Amino acid sequence: MAVPAVAGAGLILSGRGSRPPTEGNANLFSLAASVLTAALVVGAVITRPEVDQPWLPSLGVRLQFAVDGISAPLLLLTAALGIAVVVHARSHPSHGGSPTTFYGCLQLVVLGALATFFARDAVIFYLAFEVVLVPMWVLISRYGDSKDLAARADASGRFVLYTVLGSTLMLIGILALVQASGTANLEALATARGAGLTRQAQIIIAALLLVGMGIKVPVWPLHTWLPPAHTIAPTAGSVMLAAVLLKMGTYGIVRLVVAPLPIGFGALAPAFAVLGVVGIIWGGLACLVENDLKRLIAYSSVAHMGFVVLGLASGTTVGLQAALFANIAHGVVSALLFFLVGGLKERWGSADLATARAALREVSPRLGIALVVGFAASLGLPGLVGFWGEFLAMYSAWSPAPDRPQGLMRVLVVVAVTGTAVAAGYSLRVLRLIWSGDRTTPAHQDARGGEWSVLAVLVTAVLVLGVAPGLVLNSTIKDVTAITAQVSR
Amino acid sequence: MSQAIVSVNSALLLPVLAPAVGAAVVLVVDVAVQRLRRAHYLIALTSLVIGVLATFAGLGMGAGASRQTLCLPGGGQCLYAADSVTSTLQLAAMLAAIVTLLLSWPDDRKQSSGSTAVIVSLVLAATAGATAVAGARDLGSWLVALELATLPTVALVALRGARSAISGAVALLTTALVSFGLLALAAALWFTATGSGLLTPAAAQIVIEDPARRPILVLAVLLIVAGIGFKLSLVPFHAWTPEAYDGAPLPVAAFLAGVSKIAALAALLVVIRAIAPLGAPPLVAIAIVSAVSMTLGNIMALRQEGVVRLLAWSTVAQAGWVVLPLATVSSAAVLASGAYLLAYVVATLLAFSVVAALVQTRGAARARTLSEYRGLLGDHPVLASVLGLALLSLAGLPPGVLGLVAKVAALRPVVTSELWLLAVVAAVNAVLGVAVYLRWLFTVISSREDVEQAPGVVSGVAQGVRVHPATLVAVGFAAVALVVTSVSPELLVGLLGS
Repeated sequence: MAVPAVAGAGLILSGRGSRPPTEGNANLFSLAASVLTAALVVGAVITRPEVDQPWLPSLGVRLQFAVDGISAPLLLLTAALGIAVVVHARSHPSHGGSPTTFYGCLQLVVLGALATFFARDAVIFYLAFEVVLVPMWVLISRYGDSKDLAARADASGRFVLYTVLGSTLMLIGILALVQASGTANLEALATARGAGLTRQAQIIIAALLLVGMGIKVPVWPLHTWLPPAHTIAPTAGSVMLAAVLLKMGTYGIVRLVVAPLPIGFGALAPAFAVLGVVGIIWGGLACLVENDLKRLIAYSSVAHMGFVVLGLASGTTVGLQAALFANIAHGVVSALLFFLVGGLKERWGSADLATARAALREVSPRLGIALVVGFAASLGLPGLVGFWGEFLAMYSAWSPAPDRPQGLMRVLVVVAVTGTAVAAGYSLRVLRLIWSGDRTTPAHQDARGGEWSVLAVLVTAVLVLGVAPGLVLNSTIKDVTAITAQVSR
Repeated sequence: MSQAIVSVNSALLLPVLAPAVGAAVVLVVDVAVQRLRRAHYLIALTSLVIGVLATFAGLGMGAGASRQTLCLPGGGQCLYAADSVTSTLQLAAMLAAIVTLLLSWPDDRKQSSGSTAVIVSLVLAATAGATAVAGARDLGSWLVALELATLPTVALVALRGARSAISGAVALLTTALVSFGLLALAAALWFTATGSGLLTPAAAQIVIEDPARRPILVLAVLLIVAGIGFKLSLVPFHAWTPEAYDGAPLPVAAFLAGVSKIAALAALLVVIRAIAPLGAPPLVAIAIVSAVSMTLGNIMALRQEGVVRLLAWSTVAQAGWVVLPLATVSSAAVLASGAYLLAYVVATLLAFSVVAALVQTRGAARARTLSEYRGLLGDHPVLASVLGLALLSLAGLPPGVLGLVAKVAALRPVVTSELWLLAVVAAVNAVLGVAVYLRWLFTVISSREDVEQAPGVVSGVAQGVRVHPATLVAVGFAAVALVVTSVSPELLVGLLGS
């Protein structure tokens, strides 16, 4: 029952751990903590424990934690990446500050993400949402790879300020929702279906929550914090940011908007879908001309999250499934790509695409193959993980729930399809520039050891989930149907 | 009939009597035995600890429960009442006074300025005023206690004698007199409206029966908000704050930020709770003042280069948060406001304590300049971490969970009353606030290499001077309080009762 509590305590201990240990010891300790956490998370996913304790009786806040089908894949993803970033950091030491702080911050980010996905109390959800901010801010501002202090301050500051604005708006929405329905329990909120709320109140609350979490997702035009944050952050930070933190936004939308406020979300869904599709096109076009590889992948995140938004907005079971699957898929793919690009940036000294460099196919076949798989998945090639989320999202938006404007949604699908074409364009552009060709100088080392094993595991995950998407879809289907069955009623 | 006219329960009055008697004893001892320094502080600490212990009986009582004394015969009208909110505020005021005294503990390595007894007795007198105003239930003692909490601070600021201190004290004194005028007028209007000298719901009840009296009462409450707005540093009565904070010695600034704010809020709560049962509509005036204070305070704080001035402007912003819930007149709002104030006081005192410790090791000029905080994490890891926790708590970000919980508590009544515009303004200000405190924290955690890049850094000034033990005790005390309440905010929020 106390699994998350034990994990959390262990993580905080590691974060505040003793000062002098060397890089290697810190890494080992952190690795042990991550593995322990992962084991506990797997245990929690299997046994499905529940924790329910009073914490702040005066405010009616309870420590409620539980796992269900929707959060289980995200928990596993978080725990697995928690191990991956630590393993990867073995071969890529941090610089800019003490290693213990670096690993401590990583562990705290993982803690916050896990607590967010575990939380069953809306206010605790908000608290957990905030926990990741400061450690992430430290990671970007101190361990970021720009030598320029001002650039790091700017990127990290932007990240924190945007997300704090988002989460405070979200808090207002949560408080209003909790006040109106008389419970802070997420399941009770989902079953209540916004009963007792007028249509107008539902729309206001849903709008507050959507704007708040839209910043985190990020939905165009609230995405402008993302590219600088990704570009500056150290590899581990980028990976956690893209693969875990962005997921908290979509997860929150499913939990706090789609389920408890069906009418309000229904009214806002068309506008939300339009923003999502604008994001797909915007992100794609930005990728076509972007010359900084890390920034390019950040923009491609904006495009991918656009598909998630489109799926959510369709209001059907398939759409929700698509959104959740695309969520996981993006987590795996973006983690893979950020690991790769972080490694490349270290070898090259910069991530500028305009500089001619040795072709990966020639000098580092392992990095090359991982890059090809990553970008192929990113452009949505069938048989890889990226395909299912995008395909199902468009499929569901083509025949949306009855209360959605069908014509508009179909137009949006057409636009989104062109977005996938753009994605193919930029993916192939990158591969042409850095993978193909026969330049062999300047040579650089191929991936080895920890880096290669992390990449290999992620490539395998891309392939396995691409061939057998049912692994995730079956986990979520029960809870998703429970949400949509009542939506269409 | 030789019966006493008023019944007196001195055990109940002890939180007020202890510091007041302590102040008198300090002065008497000073007359009797000259050149004592530490003894005064010991007397003061003893009296404050007695007062702290006396408040314990009133903590955590249920809603509506209260202990009364100074009751008039017959009618059951009491001039002093202590329930859980009152007791908690008294407790906080005295703990904050203890931290202040620890910060100003005499340093053996320096020459005595000869005014130790005066400083100590002024601190005690102002503290007695703060605890008295929290329990006062009639206009007379309420006004006197509020002034007792204010006027000694003017002297405390002025005592340093420097030019900046005098100008700060003059700003403080001028605003204090204006606010006293407003409050006296408000008291007169209150008496006109209710026909009673008591600040109780029963007295305000008469207004419900006679709607013609309502406008007068509303005017009285507005004037009270204006008068107290000065002590809470609410815009537009904030102008004295940066002057006084910056001019005053650091412990006195901490006193202004801690005890004075508690006194002011306690005074405001007495009035708000008297009118709460009337079911008044949201006080638009408080909403506007709160929104403007937050915004102006945060924006000005963003531009400051001195940390004391930054803390002063952040006080203005935080005062806006403190009165934010009071825009909805309800008992939940009173609790939320109290909880926010306590969270703010704990975090601010901690920040002031760390700055005071740094003044001792690095010299006043360095400790008061924001850019000199670069690389602090490397030089003083413990002080820097503690400062970071205080700043994050003020910003309302984990691991400063206390500040976050306080923010949730403060926003809740606003959302419940569906004041959407105010809620959104508060959200924007939460962001501005984060920017303010992270700007400071960013310099604190910047690494050594960045220090080398920064021009004009004088290193090694006054290094190696140890921090006075009393200051360390103050830092430790405030830090433990903040950590414990962050882990379990219920300890603090629950004190106020439910």
